[in-house]
Amino acid sequence: MAAVIETDKLTKTYGKNRGIVDVDLQVDSGEIFGFLGPNGAGKTTTIRTLLGFQRPASGTASVFGLDSRRDSVQIRSRVGNLPGEFTLEDRMTGEAMLRYFARLRGVESLDYARHLAGRLGADLKRPMRRLSRGNKQKVGLVLAMFHRPELLILDEPTGGLDPLVREEFLALIAEVRDEGRTVFFSSHVLGEVERICDRIAVIRGGRLAAVEPTSEIINKSFRHVRIAFARQLKNKEMRKFAALAGVDNFDHDSNSLSFTLYGNYDDVVKLAARHTVVDIDFERPPLEEIFMTYYADPQERGMP
Amino acid sequence: MSTANREAPGTGAAPLGRQVPAAAKLVHFIGHQLQLQVRAVIGWSLALGLYTAAMVAIFPSFSDLENLTAAIPEGMREGLGITDIGTIEGFLSAEAFSIVTPLALAFFPMLSLSAVIAGAEERGTIDVLFSNPLPRWLVVVGSFLAVAISLLAVVVIIGLLMWSTALLVGVDLDFSDAAAAVLNLWPLCMFFGSLALLCSAIFHRRLFGIAIPGVLLLGMYLLDVIGNLSEDLEDARVLSVFHHYGSAIEEGIDGSGFAGITCFAVLFVILAVAAFHRRDIYT
Repeated sequence: MAAVIETDKLTKTYGKNRGIVDVDLQVDSGEIFGFLGPNGAGKTTTIRTLLGFQRPASGTASVFGLDSRRDSVQIRSRVGNLPGEFTLEDRMTGEAMLRYFARLRGVESLDYARHLAGRLGADLKRPMRRLSRGNKQKVGLVLAMFHRPELLILDEPTGGLDPLVREEFLALIAEVRDEGRTVFFSSHVLGEVERICDRIAVIRGGRLAAVEPTSEIINKSFRHVRIAFARQLKNKEMRKFAALAGVDNFDHDSNSLSFTLYGNYDDVVKLAARHTVVDIDFERPPLEEIFMTYYADPQERGMP
Repeated sequence: MSTANREAPGTGAAPLGRQVPAAAKLVHFIGHQLQLQVRAVIGWSLALGLYTAAMVAIFPSFSDLENLTAAIPEGMREGLGITDIGTIEGFLSAEAFSIVTPLALAFFPMLSLSAVIAGAEERGTIDVLFSNPLPRWLVVVGSFLAVAISLLAVVVIIGLLMWSTALLVGVDLDFSDAAAAVLNLWPLCMFFGSLALLCSAIFHRRLFGIAIPGVLLLGMYLLDVIGNLSEDLEDARVLSVFHHYGSAIEEGIDGSGFAGITCFAVLFVILAVAAFHRRDIYT
């Protein structure tokens, strides 16, 4: 698949302050790419550099094979962007801004915009100053999507949306992918990213911590294991479980034990099979918990 | 929301829209900026238009204007460039077009143009604007042109209010003199406005976009006034834009002064384009 977004050791600093460091990204055509990280991790910096709002300190960024800075106007003509802090002139209505943006983009029909506004419940008639944060965000989503861009870049798009609208928005995003368009979705709401993203990048302290298909991130991660036995195990036998590679957070009582397991399922199953097992549970952790492991001290996770 | 038809209008996933030429984008951008400036145009026009109209209206009530001119100390007359306030042209030059109107009206383009880049960065609206395929130069040039048009509208309204008041109260104010007086404000005000645009493009702080041209405005005015009084500073007056501004209501528009000041305003815009092109956009 052709890369829509590609960065190579992309670095952006603000004076002595860190922005992003050596970010290598590749977002393929037709995928929903989740970009995860807490506030200040570098998500918005990455997006604003991709759109040519700021110049990289080093490294390169390209969108559709075009240079992010030199060809910024061409890139933006093919991109729909929802900034993280979506703000419009207070006196303007969504309708006025929509017509203005449509003229700048040469969009003659606003039928699709009205369709989007209807599905999201966006009020385009009232001035922005009279809209709540959530309602402003709906207008922002309509303005980002109304021209059916090849690439949608959404920075924290669900902030302020109520649950019903969020569901409708996620359905819209899935439809965008079904149409073969690409979505770059920055968020710190893990549940929605897990639901709709094909791949996830995790950014921590300005550096990419991981880029994986969503399913692999989940499958490659640890499991919470609980095993109950028919009879009480001796301490010596319990300690054999604790000594297995990949076992952490070990706990036990007279005839059951629990631990966190990083891989090495086979040894655990074989050791357990020496006893009469009455219950066994390999619980997949929620994405939130997986995500937090990327934010733990790397040495604590046994990483180099 | 959920009751809306889920079937999207149009066919397929093809992007909507077409390439828009830069000239057309510029026209749309200027149109939008003008729309945003309507209230400011009305406010500034009424405030300064009613002030100049009031000056015209009170002119007939002064019965002994020759003695009034003589009563003004000579130094003050020279400093402020007052020649003869016994005529409506001289009176308006002294009361409206030498100090109050140019000093006040210069703040209209200064406030408007400092709001375009640095102001939009501070308000957080600039990322939404630049999410559209707008080149940076277009935003700078389009903002300058929009304010230039708005300012022209303001001075025209001021001139019409002043001239129509003269007709009403029976003061003999020639239309061409009134037109020259107000049109002469345009390059002077745009000079400081485009300087505000340049500062806004460089510093991304609106405060600098107002403070720097504001201080220069007052400094140049004082230089011109003091240069009129002091032989030591007389040669330095050429550095003040007010020296080239003159008194158009009495002497007509000085073409070279008008063109020279306008050229500086355009130069500031070119520098603003270059400065804004080089720097990051902040939010």
